[in-house]
Amino acid sequence: MDRSRGINDYEPGPVPSESRVDRYGFIKQNVSNSSAAEGLGKSREARRVRKWRKMIGVGGSDWKHYVRRKPHVVKRRIRKGIPDCLRGLVWQLISGSRDLLLMNPGVYEQLVIYETSASELDIIRDISRTFPTHVFFQQRHGPGQRSLYNVLKAYSVFDRAVGYVQGMGFLAGLLLLYMSEEDAFWLLVALLKGAVHAPMEGLYQVGLPLVQQYLFQFEHLVREHLPKLGEHFSREMINPSMYASQWFITVFSYSFPFPLALRIWDVFLFEGVKIVFKVGLALLKYCHDDLINLSFEKLIHALRNFPEDAMNPDILLPMAYSIK
Amino acid sequence: MAAYRADDDYDYLFKVVLIGDSGVGKSNLLSRFTRNEFSLESKSTIGVEFATRSIRVDDKVVKAQIWDTAGQERYRAITSAYYRGAVGALLVYDVTRHVTFENVERWLKELRGHTDSNIVIMLVGNKADLRHLRAVSTDDAKAFAERENTFFMETSALESMNVENAFTEVLTQIHHVVSRKALEVGDDPAALPKGRTINVGSKDDVSAVKNAGCCSA
Repeated sequence: MDRSRGINDYEPGPVPSESRVDRYGFIKQNVSNSSAAEGLGKSREARRVRKWRKMIGVGGSDWKHYVRRKPHVVKRRIRKGIPDCLRGLVWQLISGSRDLLLMNPGVYEQLVIYETSASELDIIRDISRTFPTHVFFQQRHGPGQRSLYNVLKAYSVFDRAVGYVQGMGFLAGLLLLYMSEEDAFWLLVALLKGAVHAPMEGLYQVGLPLVQQYLFQFEHLVREHLPKLGEHFSREMINPSMYASQWFITVFSYSFPFPLALRIWDVFLFEGVKIVFKVGLALLKYCHDDLINLSFEKLIHALRNFPEDAMNPDILLPMAYSIK
Repeated sequence: MAAYRADDDYDYLFKVVLIGDSGVGKSNLLSRFTRNEFSLESKSTIGVEFATRSIRVDDKVVKAQIWDTAGQERYRAITSAYYRGAVGALLVYDVTRHVTFENVERWLKELRGHTDSNIVIMLVGNKADLRHLRAVSTDDAKAFAERENTFFMETSALESMNVENAFTEVLTQIHHVVSRKALEVGDDPAALPKGRTINVGSKDDVSAVKNAGCCSA
């Protein structure tokens, strides 16, 4: 086993135990919630980073070539999780946002500086209500809040039909923890306009048509994959809009543990929205035997407060991948 | 499901909705009432949230099932489904932002379009602790409430002022409506007495309520 410990340029190293934030920058809620269990061993992680660096090349120069040659290797590696230090870059490569950025020089600056948006007040009101426990976004008018505002405002101008809708801030906020404002903006564009996968803008358009569609489809998938639970839900009159709207609207970034959200995003950006359905089903499947005994109110509570072990990415995601 | 019997020890179950513009403090009113918590660092609500609390009204135990909804207009596509079957509503505005008071009229219209005419509505002016920032006068709001035939109260979820009163008043008034109706009709369409295996709070119970002979439609 490789026991070298010299490598420390690849990860934000283990945070000292007295630190008030976790390795991702969130203010710790309770001490027992240790992050030690979440990651791989250091040396394994280092090997993984080396493999990834080779695969993407300097600044992502070899990426397209590699994906074309070995799509299955890429898919498998992404499903195991993109190394945190390369995440921002890889997300831009797999989402198609890097290409958008290169094709549209100066556009972002134009949107931020010269245009005004009807949504400005709505955006401002939500800025401090987006990842309020993360150090980057905590400081009033600090760099995090300013970037978040700029990206959301730029998008609301870029697509005035969508404008700004609550929930988009969590997407933008998540991206801003891994890339610059302009990169985050173009990744948002890539997602909503559908650069690689089906466009997401229907989640935010008037009437929230895509939310309604996804919830409807999810309900049917529950009945198909977990028929007993599906039946129990209809008996208790539980429908997915009571618990799953935010799964789709924010792609699990609203209230799920950050390490899990990141792993879901890795796969989401490469494979598309299917993973959101799969993770949702896997959560229900994992908690099936508990859920099936609960009545309405307890069910609602349970569906919004999954146990910690259910949200361990290394347990939940393999389960999600196995759902066809 | 005997295990949950204790929790369900109530005489009446009332569905109540929290509505109003984004950022007026709906979620904090709910957490203050149901958990006695307030957070300056709360996230904006996406979709709907849900909480319950039982209180004693007259000599009955009344359980409130409260749905807290996202305030942004775009979300009404999802949230308006939750109005149906509600027997009470807290329509919240922010006393420091006049526009949230101006929008009350639209919320009221929307609410009345989706609910039974007997619904008990309380207009709630929240953030009353921010005295130096006040933009809506108590008199204006009171006059509006009288005109629209709703109850009215100013609250501060932060200072825990009137929150208990506001919810209690709504639940008490609902209870009165129900008792009156029970006398008139001999049946109780607006509430679900204990013991019946009916679930409240989702779309389908609504039709149950309406079919029982309510006056809308």
